[in-house]
Formats: sequence, structure tokens, C-alpha cells
Amino acid sequence: MKASIRPYAFSALGIAGALAIWQVLAAANVAGNALPPATMVFTTLASILGTGMFWSALGATLGIALLALAVAALAGVAIGLLVGSFEPVRYATLAVLEFLKPVPPIVILPLAVLVLGPTAEMSLFLVVFGCLLPIVMQTVDGVQGTDPVARDTARSYGMGEGEILARVVLPSAMPYIGTAMRVAAPAALVVTVVAGLLGGGPGLGQSIYQAQAAGDYASLYGLVIVLGVLGLLFQGATRLAERRVLHWHESYREVVP
Amino acid sequence: MRNVKIRNWVIGGGTPVLLLAAWWLLSANSSDPFFPPLETIIVRFQELWLFDHFQSDVLLSLGNLFLGFAIAGVAGVALGFVTALVPPVRWMIDPLIHFLRGIPPVALVPIFISLIGFGTGMRVTSIALAALFPTMIATVDGIRGVSNDLMDVARVYRLSRKERVLNVLLPAAMPHIFSGLQVSLQVAFIVMIASEMLGSSQGIGAMTLLAQQSFMTADMWAGILLLGVIGFLVNILFSLLKHKVLSWYIGSRRMARAA
Repeated sequence: MKASIRPYAFSALGIAGALAIWQVLAAANVAGNALPPATMVFTTLASILGTGMFWSALGATLGIALLALAVAALAGVAIGLLVGSFEPVRYATLAVLEFLKPVPPIVILPLAVLVLGPTAEMSLFLVVFGCLLPIVMQTVDGVQGTDPVARDTARSYGMGEGEILARVVLPSAMPYIGTAMRVAAPAALVVTVVAGLLGGGPGLGQSIYQAQAAGDYASLYGLVIVLGVLGLLFQGATRLAERRVLHWHESYREVVP
Repeated sequence: MRNVKIRNWVIGGGTPVLLLAAWWLLSANSSDPFFPPLETIIVRFQELWLFDHFQSDVLLSLGNLFLGFAIAGVAGVALGFVTALVPPVRWMIDPLIHFLRGIPPVALVPIFISLIGFGTGMRVTSIALAALFPTMIATVDGIRGVSNDLMDVARVYRLSRKERVLNVLLPAAMPHIFSGLQVSLQVAFIVMIASEMLGSSQGIGAMTLLAQQSFMTADMWAGILLLGVIGFLVNILFSLLKHKVLSWYIGSRRMARAA
């Protein structure tokens, strides 16, 4: 019993220690007013949480991230099934996909801002661009990894190509798609913030930029803390959703020794 | 069978060429201010990057990227080892690490700007700190995944603590560490661009964004092309390094699969 409490005690100690160090450094004025004390940041954060502007920025960020994630998921799985099912298509897209895969959306941010302006559409476009490729690639891998025996069995039962795709190939690609979504969901949040911070799209990224430009450092730290919590929630939610959707799959089943 | 293979090669190599040719032809007489002719972009690319701004901007950006990434890699692996091997440290910093990891790396850049200013120090710090976490977390996972049998054998052979860490744990965790490093490299690349775009005047990212803001579209396209190529090449180089270092692991996996 005592041993199981110890980790939590140390965690509490770690958090308290970090806050104390922060407070002391700020009180010692090591970085001038650029490092506000923790107490000030949390009181500022509390007052920010009471403003409508914060909640509309939060709503914009979440709305853009989730909508773009949904679009990227639907389009990505559809494209992935297409690319994975037909060999010529796979070879035709291989070079382009491999080239674009390590290119982050921030690279085309200037182009998106130029064409679409600092709008929600610009943010949406960037998030879809950033999330689409990983989902496509994973879906292709999933389709490739389908057990050929299962496929042949389905065919010998007289299933049509469409039915095989929906009942055999798609379910067996699901864990791959789940992995891709688990990576894509936090990424969607990150890209939405980047689009706001650097491109002026609506949301918390823009709020951070304004706080920094105005020299309102307490708000800046407060907003970054909000983003950290939001990121944790996104990660937790996707893991939960993945487990729920894929509860039937081997890697999620309860192991009976 | 042979024919199919040749056909696939032709399709694979031909499509990018066709796409580039289509871009060239379709944009040839373009008067659309957003999409200038590819020819103009390539001319500007050559004028800007080869080698007018090569030293002042390209080398500067790449230097920051590698310095930040190197610091993050070394510190990430070291911190990962300490965290994984000393439980009190792990309990103490685990919640903090998870919280810091939840923050989008780019959102830390404004904080570093206000703390350190716009100089090179800020950029390298931002890159290093943002790229630290993937490597560190992967290292911890890698060490925890080392099988107990392996550690028991090491103990039976009476290996010292140093030998156990350097000769048993480190190689066994290497595949995980390299996956973490690859993610770190991508994060480092993103933060490199972001740290230049936020109010700096030097570096590829800054030049690209400035070109966009002053409607020099061809220059902007040239910057995007260069960044895309760098992102691709850096990733390829790292993959080659990974294959070289992990060749024993890849080989053993193949053997295990064949058996």
C-alpha cells in the first residue's frame, strides 16, 4: 500500500518543485518582465478563462482541428484504399507520396496564406494537408497487409470486390488506420495552432501571437499552459476512441494467461 | 511477370516526370500572380540559393537545425536513461514531461523570443527543447522494453553497471532510440522554420515568409521548393544512417521472420 502511494508523492513533489523554481526565478527577476511569476500567470489565466474571446478562440481552434481531421480521415482512407488496391496506382503515386511525406505543412504555409489569406479556410487547408498523407500511407500499408488467405476465402464464398473491400480489407486495415489517427489527432491541433501563430488564422495560435506582440507575457504563458492541457486531452481522447473502436482486435483484447 | 515489373518501374519513374512536365507546360504563360511559371521559379531559385544567400541564410538555417538536433539527441538519450533507471526521478518528472509534450512545440517559440530575443541562441534553444521529448520518451520506452532475460544474463556474467548500460541496455534500446530521433528530426525541422518565420530576417523560413508578404511570389515558391527538398533530403540521410547503424537489428529481424 505504502509503495503504491510513493510514485504519486514524488509526482506531486516534482510538480510543486517545478512551480517553486519558476516562482523563485521570476521573483529574482532573472529575465525581467519576460518571465512573470507563476502566481501571476495563474491569476491572469483565471481572468482569461472568464472572457468570451478566449472561449471563441478555443472553439475556433477545436472546430478547425476536428473538422480538418474528419475530412483528412475520410479522404485519406478513401485514397489509401484506392492506392493500396491497384498496383499501377500505387507505383504511380509512390514517388510523389515519398517526397511529400517528410515535408511538414509549415513549408507551404506562405503559399496558403498568399492564396487564402489569414482565414479559417487557410488553417483548414493546412491541417488537412498535414494529416492526409500519414493516413493515406498507413491505410495503404494496412491494405497491403491483408491476409491473402482471408481475401481468397471471401472470394471463394462468392463475395464481390466491393464486399471484400468493405468486409475483409477495411477491417484488417483498421488497426493501421487507428495508429495513423492517433498520430494525426494531436498533429491536427498543433498545425491549427501553427496556422494561427504564423499565418494569422483564427484560434488560440492567433491569441498567443497577439499576447507576445503586445508584451502581455502573463497571458502568453497562460495560453501556452492551456495548449498543453488541450494537447493532453487530445492524446487521451484519441487513445480512448481507438481502444473503443478496435476492442475486437488482437492487440487490444484482454490477454487470458 | 517481368513485363509487369518493367511496367511498374516505368509508371513509378514516369509519373513524377509527367507531373513536373505538366506543371511546366500549364504554368508556362501564366499571368496569375499566385502561380508564376515554373521557369521563373527555377530561375529565381538559382539566383537566390545558388549561391547568393547560400552562406548567409541556407547554411545558417542548416547549422541551427543540426546544432539543435544534436543537443536534443544527446540530452534526450541521457535524460531517457536517467529517467528509466532511477524510479524516483521518473515519478518526479513524468507528469511534467507529459505536460510539456502536450504543448505544440511551435507555441514555445514566442516564449523563447520573449526570454532570449530573436538571435541564433533563441532558435537553437527552441529547436533543441522541442526536439528533446520524442527522443527522451522513445529512449525510456526502449529501455523498459528490454527483456528481463537479457538483464538476468548480464547479471549472471557479473557485468558492471557501466557495462550493463553501455553494452546491453544501449544496443537493445537502439531501435527505439532511432525511431525517436527520426521524430525529433522532423520536429526540429518544423521549429527551425517557425523560429525563423516569427520575426527574424535571416534564414530560409524568414526569406520565404518575407517574399510572401512583399508579394514576390516567385521568390516564395523558390523558398518553398528549397524547404521541401531539404526536408526530404534530411529525412533520407537520416534513414540511411539508421539502416547502417541498425543493420544488425534489421538483419536479425529478417532472420527471425524467415525462420
